[in-house]
Amino acid sequence: MVAFLSFVVIVLLFVVLVLIARANELSLQLKGDKYDYTNQSRINGYLMMGFLILMFAGSAFAFKELVPVMIPKAASVHGLQTDKLFNITMLIIGIVFVITQVALFYFTYRYNESRGEKAYFYTHNNKLEVVWTIIPSIVLTGLIAMGMYEWFSIFNKEARDPKMLVVEATAKQFNWMLRYPGKDGKFGERVIDTEHISPTNELGINWDDKNSHDDFMADKLYLVKGRPVLMKLGALDVLHSFFLPHFRVKMDCVPGIPTEFYFTPTMTTAEMQQYLSTEPWWQTVNPETGEQRWKTFKYELACAELCGKSHYGMEREVVVVTQAEYDEWVDKQTAMYAAVAPKTDAPAESVEPAATDSVNTETKPTAMLIKK
Amino acid sequence: MQTAHSVDHAHADVHHIHGHDEHHHEETFLTKYIFSQDHKMISKQFLITGIFWGIVGGLLSVLFRLQLGWPNETFPFLETFLGKWAEGGKISNEFYYALVTMHGTILVFFVLTGGLSGTFANLLIPYQIGARDMASPFMNMLSYWFFLAASTVMLFSFFIQTGPASGGWTAYPPLNGLRDTGINLGSGMGFDMWALGMTLFIISSLLGGLNYIATVLNMRTKGMSMFRLPLTIWALMFTAIIGVLSFPALLAGVTLLEFDRLLDTSFYLNNIVVNGQLLGYKGGSPILFQHLFWFLGHPEVYIIILPAMGIVSEVLSVHARKPIFGYKAMVFSILAILVLSFIVWAHHMFVTGLNPNLGAIFTLFTLLIAIPSAIKVFNWIGTLWRGNIRLVSAALFAIGFVSMFITGGLTGIILGNSSLDIHLHDTYFVVAHFHIVMGVSAFFGMFAGVYHWFPRLFGRFMNETLGQIHFYVTLVGAYCIFFPMHFMTGLPRRYYTFANFDTFNNFNHLAAFISVFAIVVFLAQLVFVVNFFYSIFKGRKVEGEVANPWGANTLEWTAPVERLHGNWPADIPTVYRWPYDYSTEFGETNPQNLPLRSGEEQH
Repeated sequence: MVAFLSFVVIVLLFVVLVLIARANELSLQLKGDKYDYTNQSRINGYLMMGFLILMFAGSAFAFKELVPVMIPKAASVHGLQTDKLFNITMLIIGIVFVITQVALFYFTYRYNESRGEKAYFYTHNNKLEVVWTIIPSIVLTGLIAMGMYEWFSIFNKEARDPKMLVVEATAKQFNWMLRYPGKDGKFGERVIDTEHISPTNELGINWDDKNSHDDFMADKLYLVKGRPVLMKLGALDVLHSFFLPHFRVKMDCVPGIPTEFYFTPTMTTAEMQQYLSTEPWWQTVNPETGEQRWKTFKYELACAELCGKSHYGMEREVVVVTQAEYDEWVDKQTAMYAAVAPKTDAPAESVEPAATDSVNTETKPTAMLIKK
Repeated sequence: MQTAHSVDHAHADVHHIHGHDEHHHEETFLTKYIFSQDHKMISKQFLITGIFWGIVGGLLSVLFRLQLGWPNETFPFLETFLGKWAEGGKISNEFYYALVTMHGTILVFFVLTGGLSGTFANLLIPYQIGARDMASPFMNMLSYWFFLAASTVMLFSFFIQTGPASGGWTAYPPLNGLRDTGINLGSGMGFDMWALGMTLFIISSLLGGLNYIATVLNMRTKGMSMFRLPLTIWALMFTAIIGVLSFPALLAGVTLLEFDRLLDTSFYLNNIVVNGQLLGYKGGSPILFQHLFWFLGHPEVYIIILPAMGIVSEVLSVHARKPIFGYKAMVFSILAILVLSFIVWAHHMFVTGLNPNLGAIFTLFTLLIAIPSAIKVFNWIGTLWRGNIRLVSAALFAIGFVSMFITGGLTGIILGNSSLDIHLHDTYFVVAHFHIVMGVSAFFGMFAGVYHWFPRLFGRFMNETLGQIHFYVTLVGAYCIFFPMHFMTGLPRRYYTFANFDTFNNFNHLAAFISVFAIVVFLAQLVFVVNFFYSIFKGRKVEGEVANPWGANTLEWTAPVERLHGNWPADIPTVYRWPYDYSTEFGETNPQNLPLRSGEEQH
């Protein structure tokens, strides 16, 4: 009923509008046989000037209200640098924005035909064209140079720390599989064939590879403050994108083509909460949790490439901790091998290389059979 | 006002008008309105089809804005109209993705490519170069009919059981390369219809584009050298060239995608695992499709914006009563955009795992595009400076275009920088950027064109009051929709709801604010639609047999108000000067067919 009534109201509004417009046109026509736009130009000159002021006021208001709500400062080494470049670029384009918009709307107002001044016949000025070609070129060259410096330092493989953490994230509809290499720091081999891949082993892990025996899957992405991490990325079914908004990290996960991203977290989750606790907006109470916002702050992993109808649901918490806390956490994890290893080998948590020697292929699930 | 500076010269070189028996032949309703080969009628067909699609595309955005603005509310009337797609009055996630996919496809291709280029290339190319019609009127007709066929297929895909395409307007595989097997993977028959619709659309675009290029190059009237062409024609011709060179890449890309879907080939598929089962696809690359798609997809945004730029250049100059500032700089900057538009496509792929060296090259070319774009903006502003601007709806929309183009273009400098794009890619910052710079801007250019050339199309004016209401509501509303999205930096686009994430869930009030303005702006467009159709029949009539209501110099206004097949009843006009001799010492309007007076200089 409400929908129907609002529909009727809108239709009536339209009818009224058309009638007013028509009446306006007829009255103008009655005034004389020539249709004169001078008056409209005068009014529109003022309105356009008014719009300019409204636009700047609105922008200022938006900055004041929305900047505090934005995703907080970067929590990674490269993220701090790209944020800086973002701000520098913003400042430059902000200046250009103000100058050009003011010129555009002011000229519209100042030179509208109600002033009755004859237009100035002026076709071109090559000097001016050169000036406004060269200045943007110089500014852009600077921005490109800064951007490329960051870009190449982010993707510079030679500068990688050999002590980095390596974590594998594999995406599928609609979940993340986070695999850690365990204490040996090495991942078990993955084999892409129908013998290895099965509903219980979607990644196709080769259990004969002893490196796999201490690999474990985590439900949260644990990272270490100050320790670089290499994310090894992939997808099983369709495109996904590994997105860590707080760390300014994004890289697509492509079925059949491995990708990676190397970065260094700079703040633990606790430190970020501490940092945010001083920000006014983060001190406000979140009505959903009934707590101050900074208290429930967490880093998150999201999917940033449309991957199907539940694309928006691929959330995982990211926890950044100190090395000691990380080691403690690793100790509590259960190796995946525990689920597939022969029962006699349990507890699988502490799978020793020695234990794997006794693995009898016949006791494994058939899907795990390896034939080289 | 309009008669004062127009009629004197309008007849200047059209040797006297005598009836139109020469081109008179029997026309039936069918040949005049349906299977017309007359460029003016085809232009109207494109325009009205484009308006239809504009309403549909806008309506889709209103529907998904309801979901985004009020994710916890239900709207029972939605179930009435949409049935199973909105059970309980809430749009389903599946249908949400169909809405965003079709919104993108419809507005990019069917409104801002078909509707914009189709309308103005058809209307203006023959008129402004002084030709009686297109090089091949028959191909021109086919171009519209393929467009209509494409439209029909797209429209019908809404009514099949599994719904329209829902894997994004970019149609990335494997999501769109695999058929839906009932396990959340791949896409259904709606996508096959999408592919068929796009194929027909590309055929239409190629038929039209080749015709536009041939016409501009070969059928200019006597005296119409290339540097006497109005900027509209330069822009429309370069647009057609971009289309002809880039659309085939998409056709190839989509064809191979259909092979993957229907014939189980592996062009784009490799090692796909679904529910623990390795499918048989081997050796393809999903990234290959992205290269093919964006090889069209990026030039496509220039296909959209160049005609708008051409229209705005012309409209600003006419209404400012002043020559376009830096004509040659304008031509060469469009040429630079044309060339650069082909070598920037991979900036859509910075985070696909692309070789970083390639990323660097594409950053360089992408940011270079800012230079010709900046030149154009400065020249438009220079045109307004010391003008005598008549602020009617057409001029207002042209000025609005420049404002939008500045705002949207500037953020391109941020997104084009690959290291910044890592964070911003596929977030609302991108949504804000491209909607302002190519969506809203192109619409403003299109509206400027419609208000300006409506008297040429229909012999009547559109209502100014309604036009100005339309302008201000759209200008304010569009800024209110898209400007705040810049602050939603880092919020992924194409999310049905942000409720699953603490990080993204802080902008719910803003989302509702945006949705309110989306609805307001949509209603304002209906004001335009009402004005358009009302004015066709009841608008104020253009006075006189030949009228030049805005006092323009270009040739389309030298043809009779009554739209004749062949445009000019007698000889076609001869051109003696460039199109921008406004407010010279000899007079305010100096049509192109007016011979130079003694002491007058060529420009």
